[in-house]
Order: sequence, then C-alpha cells, then structure tokens
Amino acid sequence: MSHLLRALALTLLLAFALTARAAPPAAPRPIPDKELGLSRTSVFEVPSPPAWKAEEAAPGDRPVPPRPFKEAPPVIPHAVADFLPITATQNLCVDCHAIEGPKKKGEPTPVPASHYVDLRHAPEKKGEKVAGARWVCISCHVTRSNAPPAVGSTFRP
Amino acid sequence: MTLKLTRRQLLEAGFTTAVVGLAGVPLKVLPAEATGWTWDKSVCRFCGTGCGIQIATQGGRVVAVKGDPASPVNRGLLCAKGYACAQIPYGADRLKKPLLRKKGGKFDKQGDFEEVSWTEAFDVMKAEWTRAHKALGPTGVAVMGSGQYTIMEGYAASKLVKGGWRSNNLDPNARHCMASAVVAFMQTFGIDEPAGCYDDIELTDTVVTWGANMAEMHPMLYARIVDEKLRRPGYKLLNLTTYSNATSEAADLEIVFKPNTDLAIWNYLAREVVKRGAVDQAYVDAHCVFAAGPTDIGFGLRADDARAFAAEKDTLARQRSIVLTRDEAIARGLDPALRHERPQSAASSAGKHWLITFEEFKKGLEPYTLDFVAALAKGDPDEPLEAFKAKLKMLADEYCAPGRKAVSFWTMGFNQHTRGTWVNEQAYMLHLLLGKQAKPGNGAFSLTGQPSACGTAREVGTFAHRLPADMTVENPAHRTHTEELWKLPHLAINPKVGSHITEMMRDLEDGKLRWLWVQVTNPFQSTANANHWIEAARKLDNFIVVSDVYPTLSCKVADLILPAAIMYEKWGGYGNSERRTQLWRQVILPPGEARSDVWQMMEFSKRFTIAEVWGEQPVPGLEAEGFEKGKLPSIIEAAGALGYKPTTTLYEVLFATTANRAVKWPDRVAAGRPNSTVTHGKLDWFPEKALFEEYAAFGRGHGHDLAPFDVYLRDDVRGLRWPVVDGKETPWRFNDQYDPYARKGSGIDFYGAAMKKLPVGDLNGTTPGDLVGLPGKAKIFFRPWQEPPESPDAAYDLWLCTGRVLEHWHSGSMTRRVPSLHAAVPEALLYMHDKDVAARGLLVGQLAWIESRRGRIQARVAVGGRNRMPRGMVYVPWFDEGVFINKVTLDATCPLSKETDFKKCAVRISKVA
Repeated sequence: MSHLLRALALTLLLAFALTARAAPPAAPRPIPDKELGLSRTSVFEVPSPPAWKAEEAAPGDRPVPPRPFKEAPPVIPHAVADFLPITATQNLCVDCHAIEGPKKKGEPTPVPASHYVDLRHAPEKKGEKVAGARWVCISCHVTRSNAPPAVGSTFRP
Repeated sequence: MTLKLTRRQLLEAGFTTAVVGLAGVPLKVLPAEATGWTWDKSVCRFCGTGCGIQIATQGGRVVAVKGDPASPVNRGLLCAKGYACAQIPYGADRLKKPLLRKKGGKFDKQGDFEEVSWTEAFDVMKAEWTRAHKALGPTGVAVMGSGQYTIMEGYAASKLVKGGWRSNNLDPNARHCMASAVVAFMQTFGIDEPAGCYDDIELTDTVVTWGANMAEMHPMLYARIVDEKLRRPGYKLLNLTTYSNATSEAADLEIVFKPNTDLAIWNYLAREVVKRGAVDQAYVDAHCVFAAGPTDIGFGLRADDARAFAAEKDTLARQRSIVLTRDEAIARGLDPALRHERPQSAASSAGKHWLITFEEFKKGLEPYTLDFVAALAKGDPDEPLEAFKAKLKMLADEYCAPGRKAVSFWTMGFNQHTRGTWVNEQAYMLHLLLGKQAKPGNGAFSLTGQPSACGTAREVGTFAHRLPADMTVENPAHRTHTEELWKLPHLAINPKVGSHITEMMRDLEDGKLRWLWVQVTNPFQSTANANHWIEAARKLDNFIVVSDVYPTLSCKVADLILPAAIMYEKWGGYGNSERRTQLWRQVILPPGEARSDVWQMMEFSKRFTIAEVWGEQPVPGLEAEGFEKGKLPSIIEAAGALGYKPTTTLYEVLFATTANRAVKWPDRVAAGRPNSTVTHGKLDWFPEKALFEEYAAFGRGHGHDLAPFDVYLRDDVRGLRWPVVDGKETPWRFNDQYDPYARKGSGIDFYGAAMKKLPVGDLNGTTPGDLVGLPGKAKIFFRPWQEPPESPDAAYDLWLCTGRVLEHWHSGSMTRRVPSLHAAVPEALLYMHDKDVAARGLLVGQLAWIESRRGRIQARVAVGGRNRMPRGMVYVPWFDEGVFINKVTLDATCPLSKETDFKKCAVRISKVA
C-alpha cells in the first residue's frame, strides 16, 4: 500500500516536473499542422528523406550501448550484413557469441544462460544449445544506425 | 521539490484503495534494479500473434516488460517490438490536451491547432455532427475504428453508431487487414475465424507460408516454426512469395511467383490432387460440397472517373469492362485467338454463389496444367522455367503426401488482393480436398495483423455490415435480436450496409460524408491513393476528429485532435489469430488530459437525446422489408413504450443502463489497480467489465462463447480460445473431439449457419430449381485466376508491393518513438533489384522518385538485405509518413470483401535530379 502511494506521488511529481520544463505557463502558441508529427512538412509536400548510415563498426570496435531496461535485449553494436542470413543450418551470431560468461574484455557478449532454456519443451533445465525458439537472433536484437531519434522519449527504467 | 497529495486527488487518480495522508515525497529517480517493481500480466500492443507479456510498473510508470513464460503463445519470448511495449507510452510528444483548429477564438477549418478544454472540444464536435446529420442524415456521419480497438471500445462504438445514431458507417482499419479472410470464412464455413490454433505449428509436418513474411511480421510464430524445424528432421517450411524475404532464410523451399498468380498455383495444386487421386473422398463426401460464383466482378474501383486524375482513367476503365488477355482466355477455356470483351457486370453481385458438381469443378481446373501455370506464375525472370516447374511439383508433392500433416499460413499477401476472398477460399479448397482441415496439425490458417482484428473488429463486429457474433445488419432476425439485447425499439437498426473504410474516403471526396471520427487508427496514411483523401479532408466542407496517443499524419489532416490513453493506461481485452481472448488491467494513468476511448464515446453520447436522433431519417438507397424506401421510421414513440423519454440521452440508453450500473466499481478483480474511465467519468460502476459482459451475451450459446470477465484476469489464465464452454476452451473447431458445438459422432461438423441454402448451377451461372440446404458442410469453391486491375506497362514499368518491417508497427506512430527501433530502421527504403537500379542510373542510397498514375514520392534505394527483389519489382514499407507510399498505391479492392490490394500496382522509378 505505502509504496503504491509513493509510486503515485512520484508519478505526479515527475509529470509535474516534466510539464513544468516543457511548457511555459503562458498560453501556448497555435500549432500549424505541418509542425505536428514526425515529418515536419505539410501533408501535401513531398519530402526528401534524409540520408543515414547503418552501423559500420566491426565486432568489438564499439561498446554495447546501455539497455533501456534490464529485461530488454541489447542492441547489436556492430555491422551485421556479413553475418546474415541466419538459416536452419547457419548462425554466425551463435558461432561467436555462444561462449561461457561472464563477458571478458575484448570478447563477444556471451549468450546468457536464459537462452539455453527451452521454455516450451523443457523449461526446468538448461540445455546444451541455444534454444531453437531463440535461433533467429535478429527477431529481438535490433541493429542501429547514425540516425538521430525522431522525437525524445521520457521512458526511465 | 515536493507536491502535496490529498485523499481526493488520490481517489481521482484512480487509486480507490488509497488511505489518507501523504506529505511531500522528494523527487528522485530510482535505479532500475530497485525493489518495488510490480509485475502484472498483460498482452503485447502490436501484431495479431497476441504474445503474453509481463509488465513491471513502479512509481506509476512502466519500467520494464518481458515475455510471459506462462503464455502458451510465446513462452517467455518477445520480438523487438514486444519489448518496446514498455516504452511506447513515453514518446516526448504525447498528446495531452484536445487541439482544435481555430482562428479568432473560434473553430476554423483553415486555422492552426489551439489547446481547448474537453468541453469546448465536445461542443464543437457535437455542433458539427448536428450540421452534417441535418444535411445528410445518418449516412453523413461516420466512425473509422480499428483492429486495435479493445473489445470494449469496439462494442461501445458499435452501440453508439449502430444503436444510437442508426448509422452503419462504422468500419475498422481491419477492412484493410483481413476482410478477405472474413468473407472467405463466411462463404466457406458459414461462420468466421480459424478452425485451428497455433499448436498446429508443433503438430504438423509441413508449414507452407503464402504471402506471409512471418519472420518479420509474426516473429514469435516464426520462432516456433524454426524451433520445431531445428528439433525435428523432416519438418519442412515452404515459402511462397513475390520476392525473396526473411521467411525464406530458414525455408526448405522458396517459390517466387508473379503478383496475382497465386490463384493459378492453387488451381494447379487442386488439379494435381485430383489427377494424382489424392482427394480424401470420404472426407469430401461427408463434409463438403462444390461451389462457384460470378467471374466478371470488377476490381472494387470507383465506377465512374468524374474525380479521377487524368492518368488514372485507363485503370479505372477496367472497372467497367475488360478485354481478356491470351492467358485469361486460356484459363477460362476460351479460344485465345479471338477477342473476348467482358463487361464487369457482376461487380455489385460478386458475393453470390451456387452449388456445382464435382465434374464441373474439375472442368474449371482443367486449363491449369503445370506448363500453363509455370509460365504464367514464374516471378523471377532470371530463374529457369524448368527449375520453377520442379518447385511447383515439389509443392504439390508436399501437400499430397499421404500421412503428412500440412498447415498453410497466410496474411496480407492473400488478404490485400483484388481476388482476396477467392484466394482465401482456394486455400480451403485444397485442404478440404485433401481432408487436411479442422484436425490437429492440419489446416488452412489465416493469420491477422492486428492485436484484436479477430477479438474486436470481427467478433464484436465493427464492420459496416456487421452486428456482434457474426450477425449482419441486412438480416431482419439479427437486427431484431440485437434490438432486444440492446433494449432498443423495433426498427431502430438501419438495414442498409454502411460505407466500408475506403468508401468512406470516397464519400468524403463526394461530399456524402461530412463528419468523421477516427479512433485508434491512422487512415489518412494507411488508405491507398491518399492524394484524393487528404485533399478532400482539408479542402471540402467536412469535420474530422482524430483520437490518438501521438500526433499522426491523420492528426495533421484533422480539425480536432483528442488525446487518447494508450493500452496500459486503460482496461481492455484483445482477441488474437487463434481465437484467444486476453484481458488486462490498467497499470498506469494516462498523462495530462488524455482519456480512454470508452470515456470519450460515453461522454460524447451524453450530448445526444433520443428526440434528436430517433426521429424519421433519410437513408439514400435504403430498401428493406418493413421499411419505407429511403427512410428510417421514427422510433421515438416506440421508445416511450420502453420507458425512454424524448430527453433521455444516448448515454443512458446505451451505456449507463440499469444492468451496467449494477457492475460496480471498485471491484475486487482490480486488485488495487486504477480505472481512469471510472475516475474521469466520476462513476461508481465498471464500464469495461459491464460492456464485456453485455457483449458476451451475444455469443454465449451461439458458438462464440466467452468466459466471464473475471476468469480472464485470474493469475492462472493466459487467455482462452473461444468457444469456452463449461470453462473449457476449444483448440480445434468443427472437430467433434474438441468442439462442443460439433455434433458428436460426426467427426467433422462445419456447423456455421450463414449462406447454407444455395441454388444449383454450373461454372457459368445458376440453373432453375429449388435451393439446397447444406447443414454441416463446407464449400469447396472453384475460383479462376484473372489479371489484376493494373500491371506494369511501357509508362509504368515496375510492380510495386508495399508492406511492413519487423521493427515498426503499422504507420509507425508508436514504434518510431522508441529510440532503438527508430535507430534500427529510421526510414522506409525502396528495395530494388540491382539491374533495375543500374538501368535507371541510380546508386544504392540515392534518392529516387517512385511514381504511379496517382502520385509520386521520394525514397532511398536499397538492394539486397532483408528483401531481395526479382527484376521488375520494387518493395516499399508503409510505416514512414516521410515516405508516404500510399500516395502512390491503387485503391482497388476485392469486390467481395472491399479490402484494398496494397500488394500490386504499376510504378516507374527515376533519379531525383
């Protein structure tokens, strides 16, 4: 109960703080429609999409970026084109990452123990191979680019 | 900094179990590992898979999500989008106040957006509703809904529009998503939604994906397929597609076919099944009949070209009449040397069908030889014909193999198709012929794209022709039953089908629709041929309201923007592709003045009295027994007999009924969680639970049985697949071992009741005679292959296919605000074959024009990677409002389902100078 209350109080405080920072107390100025949304253009205009580059770093060149929250799968901090596709018989991600933890400096991030548990067929034990349902790494782990965020995020873990 | 909270504020915030007395609390951000996280079970916000999630909250905010290990759907796993559920409430540009276009302090369509109160917003919205309604009657107003509506929202919208306003202009974006699947289910089985379930993935031997790039669009189902493939030698995945995609990567066989030729491939397969003697005769004799329908049904385009751009007119002319190509003549068994002009005379009666004999059925299949179909269907010009033929044979081998179970999955490749209903029906045709339908591990399985396309759009019935539980507005018995359950006077419900979502856009352009409320969808980005509709919305006399969480492209087109609560800020329920209904508790509060959609509809309904909406109303074109032509009768007097006064509001009639008000809030099932609909409505009852239970009454005892509301919220329940009878869910329908509605001893009982009395005829039409009843039977349709409305030619020389990417959901309004997803796929690319790139003097990464008869946009060129295009075809995802590909696409639809074909039109590509 008490932490519920504290939780609520924090929310309201956060909301208050954020609003206070984002919007000055004066009446907000009218917003033209072209200023709304992710493309700051009129719906009648044809924008030229900006150029961007997919991550080009080789494995090990760049640190793993922090996760947005603990349970989130980490972003892949290196180029992936040379390691794809993942097929039924080939998985170059696993070739490098299926190593014993904990992570050592200069070595790939080890596939965690959770990935060796087959939650559908044998949830009680750790298997020897990466669980088949986790085989396609890029279903959950995304790549990255140099594109700046479209808008900010107020998410905080 | 501190903030003092009173007990009242706490109660208003929804924490009804709160106790008095909280002084200042210092503002600090707790570390992620801090104790005090509360985990709730919930559902993913995105696709139709319906993955179970666990959601952690702390301090009134979502702090994490993870895959729910107890969910049979996804067993603890989530895709990249699923993990993003934690972040989607927190884009920095959340809408928190109503925004109205104003000039000089008043609403003005040409004005800029100004913050207004909810009262002012609803005042203007109501005044504009009345103006449109006075001018045009119930057909002048409309609501565009969604397959992302919660079950309760869809039900509230249906009651408000159909019961309250007596308009059938309610249609969901799901029209663009799986309407073709629905019509095929109704025509084939007489009842909607799949026989099978996801367990089929582990139980089958062969999975065939048709126009379903599961690796990107249903990643957690694909994970189950890959898992099974790695565990079981001999388990096979075959991928049929118009370009090489990610699903091919783990496949045993990839077949790249030319757009639209899937119908020819199915007929080749059926012909092979017959020729090889692989028909399961006992199954077919006991459970099936053969059927056919009209063939010259047009392409769902506008019948006239009065508002067309000059360049559009040649494509539009095909809506009226076509000249058969050589291949079409062969496919119809005609002399290809002669000229065959065919007026599209059955365009308005495309849904008619009749019984034919097995002999007639075989006659229809006869032209679809391997030689004919292979030459027609080969999609990669660089693949040798013999290699393609060998693949088609392997596909036939796989389906025909005795003792091997087979599941066919499809999604948008079939549904978004000018012959979408037909190609869905062809999947059933083959599975029924083989006796591989409605059995564990065997079946044709339609997947959906949205989290509640099934649960809401279809089951609740938020389509222009539907009422809850598969009922339709055209059926007098269904209308009467609905009026009784809704306690409405007789003749309240309008018998004339409303406008489907593309038709609503055309109505806007024609001035027939002047007031539109868009909920939980982004139609001005998602509707094909968008230049027409954004022009109509912005430049004609109409009023457009958009309720959303973020400022979408549709918000930019709107006159009034209403800030909505996102999924985890409200109570709700979704139904996934395998008939699994999943409910969740609200876990956080909506920010600012954002409100739940249920609150918005209930609040707005308070502004309507019976006297205003239930008098005599004009409905152009209405013709139905018991109704004067073109009119809805006044029901005000009849309403009096039910105890309503002329001043009674729609809120009292539809929502705050005696029965609903008896469903009290607070409720123990909330387990201390808030309900902002209750708080903002100052209610002492529980609208979401009341609406769910009221809706469930439609389906219980009618094959759509849902469990009680509270059951779904139990800790040991992870959704239940309907029909849920005696507390037991139904994994396989129509199978007497699993489905309590299937007649015991029948083995298989296709008990659906719709369209089960048919005339008899041959491939060309009906013959005189009595109607034949078909209890317990499914129909095996013969459906011919035909050319699409538009194909590449000298001026527009490439096929364009549009679709999705794994990282983004629909129009990107949520996922593009998640930093990691945006960084992964920051913009929509134009996928091309390298020879097509070189032939246009382009380079990878350069800007190109993509131009059709309807519009042009720019995108950057990509070659290879996740989509490997054959020569002659390009692919552009539609999530990116900055690469507004629906300005280019064609608004042709399946004439039966009215679902748009986003998968093929003709374009040209050139370098941006």
